Amino acid sequence: MAENDFEPRERENFAGGEEMFGDKAPRRFQRRRPRQVIPDYVDWRDVEFLRQFIPERGKIMPRRISGITAKDQRRLATAIKRARSMALLPYVWE
Amino acid sequence: MANRTYEVMYIVDPETAADKIEKLNEAVGKLIEKEGGTVVRVDDIGQRTLAYPIKKRTEGHYVLFEIEGTGQEILELERRMRVNDLIMRYITVRVDEDRKKADKMRAKREKRVSQRAKFRTTTEESAPEPEAAEMEA
Repeated sequence: MAENDFEPRERENFAGGEEMFGDKAPRRFQRRRPRQVIPDYVDWRDVEFLRQFIPERGKIMPRRISGITAKDQRRLATAIKRARSMALLPYVWE
Repeated sequence: MANRTYEVMYIVDPETAADKIEKLNEAVGKLIEKEGGTVVRVDDIGQRTLAYPIKKRTEGHYVLFEIEGTGQEILELERRMRVNDLIMRYITVRVDEDRKKADKMRAKREKRVSQRAKFRTTTEESAPEPEAAEMEA
């Protein structure tokens, strides 16, 4: 039984699949969508820039779609919220 | 500790006369100076359509101040803005820390780029040939 358990797993490795740290077939890490360039200082008054991250409904674009870093997402979110409170950006779009 | 930078933006009712708005801006500037702050920049952005109505208005007159100071003048300024009928909305953002961080990041990146450039010049001198061969094949 132990042998049978072991065998198929080894074959999987040969197929170049799951094992990430194996030296035979390292799995290629797939990057998410191309990243936008986020400036060092995210200006909350720069409406044109912030608009890129607001789909039609007016919500903030999630990170899994925009593919930006967590740090940038946080800065971006606060900037968008500031702009919203000053009526530069809508809270909701109809 | 007079080393903080703030951005103060407020929206004035668009139906007030232009000279009244000017007077208001002047009064704000004077108040800041009196409380020990300095006005770095005044930007009268002007009329702009609001993203959503505020107090039944669809437009607003935006004014932006950049202020350096201790925070004491912000306290007083916000108190006054709250009771002022002309000002529909205001916001204060402390920007010095974020700007400092941005400068740091930029410096870091420039350093990295210059180092990479150094590396590239050494490799390009020795390696352009195999690449060209690949293109032909």
